[in-house]
Amino acid sequence: MTDALSTPSAAKPAVNLTRQFERIALLLVWVVIIGLFSAAMPSAFFNWGNFSIMFASYAPAALLALAIIIPLTAGDYDLSVGATLTLSASTIGVLNVWHQMPIGLVLCIVLAMGVLVGLFHALFIIYFRVPSLVVTLGSTSLMSGAVQWMTNSSTIGGIDNNLIMAAVGYRLFCIPYAFYYALAAALIMWYIFDYTPLGRKLLFVGRGREVARLNGIAVNRVRVGALVMSGVLASAAGILYAGVLGSADPYSGLNFLLPAFAAAFLGATTIQPGRFNPWGTLVAVYFLATGITGLSMLGIPLWVTNVFNGGALILAITISQITRGREASDLG
Amino acid sequence: MAGYRETLMNKRALLASVGALTMLVGFAGAASADEASDGLARAKENIAKYTSKPEFVAPGDAFDAKACSAGKKMMSIPNNSGNPFLKGIIDRMKAAGAEVGLEVREWENQGQPSQWVQGIELATREKYDIIDLISGIDPGTVAPQLQAASDAGVKVMTSHFYDPSFEQHPVVSSSLTIGFGEIGTILADWSTVATEGKANVALVISTDVPPTIPLVENFKKQLAENCPNCKIVTEINVGVTEWGTKIQPAVQTAVQANPDINVVIPIYDSMSQFVVPALRLAGKTGEVKLATFNGTPFVLDYIAQGLADMDIGESLDWIAYATVDGHLRDACGLPTPTALNVPFYIFDKNNIAEAGTPAQFDTGYGDAYKSGFRKLWGLE
Repeated sequence: MTDALSTPSAAKPAVNLTRQFERIALLLVWVVIIGLFSAAMPSAFFNWGNFSIMFASYAPAALLALAIIIPLTAGDYDLSVGATLTLSASTIGVLNVWHQMPIGLVLCIVLAMGVLVGLFHALFIIYFRVPSLVVTLGSTSLMSGAVQWMTNSSTIGGIDNNLIMAAVGYRLFCIPYAFYYALAAALIMWYIFDYTPLGRKLLFVGRGREVARLNGIAVNRVRVGALVMSGVLASAAGILYAGVLGSADPYSGLNFLLPAFAAAFLGATTIQPGRFNPWGTLVAVYFLATGITGLSMLGIPLWVTNVFNGGALILAITISQITRGREASDLG
Repeated sequence: MAGYRETLMNKRALLASVGALTMLVGFAGAASADEASDGLARAKENIAKYTSKPEFVAPGDAFDAKACSAGKKMMSIPNNSGNPFLKGIIDRMKAAGAEVGLEVREWENQGQPSQWVQGIELATREKYDIIDLISGIDPGTVAPQLQAASDAGVKVMTSHFYDPSFEQHPVVSSSLTIGFGEIGTILADWSTVATEGKANVALVISTDVPPTIPLVENFKKQLAENCPNCKIVTEINVGVTEWGTKIQPAVQTAVQANPDINVVIPIYDSMSQFVVPALRLAGKTGEVKLATFNGTPFVLDYIAQGLADMDIGESLDWIAYATVDGHLRDACGLPTPTALNVPFYIFDKNNIAEAGTPAQFDTGYGDAYKSGFRKLWGLE
């Protein structure tokens, strides 16, 4: 018995070393690119002001990426997060600016709307058993249409200054509060994912619904919860987006979908490789942001940033697969 | 001794050369100062033209518009019906057309060329007299359908799309152009004046939109002509579909990397919603000036709030009247104007109150054009 146990433990260190390296590989690459850009532009790039602005301006994207990984962990796609963000920001514009409603009440309405979006998805995905990809793709179009109708397809400026101040006006260590909201969301998600039975259930449901069901987990309830939380977080990202911009426009939020997915999948290659995890997602968002900021500062045309986003994602996942000896991916 | 004398002579020669060089630099500096102040004066003169209330200039002789319009129908196809600027023009064209009996119908679409084709084919089938492509539909993208319409006797016209420097597509009967190049010169001169001839500009452009080319070309030309000490520090080129994700980080990094930037020019004012937060985050609001073009209401509100400095606007209603006027003239075989002739008007902190609170698309431009066109059309 002792021998049986000691044999695998003898081989363990080598495996662990590779795994440990995999955990921090993206962080190391991040440090390397920060070093490279800093060497190239010591005064412009390597200063706290630059990083503080970057941390704040990518906070809505970070929150959106965090929203995506909840249903992804439970095995469902939510392609509608960009549209939910847009719906949320536009609703703030319409209610707060056009209808003069107090911002506190508007934010409550917007978060409640996130719950409704999640429940709407759950109805079709879980009750009618329509694939999540189809439902959320459809609801993206539905919400986009609704947003254009209610905003008359125009940008709404003049959002309550309190929201702007709460997002980018007040600062801690020179970093606007927007960043800390994303950080707080990641912290809470990390706790739930890693230290609560709910987090374990979410993971089990994502890895095998039938096995989870046979183990007594209320699979449907977990999936409904994941979809609702995704809707709420995407709505919160919309609130943050409206706060950062100080306006609401009916189109631009949709463009965040692909970068957010890129960050979610890239994040699944680090910190806890093979699993969608909040810290990895946050690192991925700011890794991509650093690359884009550095390249922009170097004066490289902006189309390169698309290449950087896509290239970084494919490369990171490929390296991750190679280091694991090309085992079957858990990421679907 | 000879060596000493030689050294002394060399020193004198050197001193003389340095003196001559200093004088030369001094003269050059004086010339350059003159050049700069002359340029500044020219820029101020040019800007003044756009700060006074727009006046109506008749685009042609008076004609009997009611007789001309009798039984005529026009199909207006905007680039995208979701665009409130274009929707606003067409709604006003319907009202202006109704005054003379011209039936104006909008072909509602979501910016898909396949939808434009449907509209063109319907206009051809139902024997419309005019197909009007508004602001953004390049006739080249739907040329076969337009050719079929033209062969069937429908006149194809464009409005608010071509710059005067562009060559119109052969299938097009007439075009009411808009001076995008002129916009470039206004933006350049405004930058010169606002910085007393020391503008360091960050240009935010979209080369995927055709009018960008003449606008930027003329901006650069005018800046070089009237402001020898101004320079374009960086050009940020972002495709329309990526404004939301790329403009803000790009402008942030530009003003961080180049602290000497004192003017940001997003050439289309809807870009401003991403430039304003970029300046706010970088702590440059008010310090870096923001000038732009289009007169979109929420950007005019930015001026009132001190977040932007200048926006060049055009009256939608004026565009609507000018379009109906120009297209009717072509449809009835009269000499047709080649331009919309809708004046540009500069909104800044001095006159922004005229645009309304909150600002509106059509407020602040005066209404000289209404009675002007009505007289031309024989209604007054």
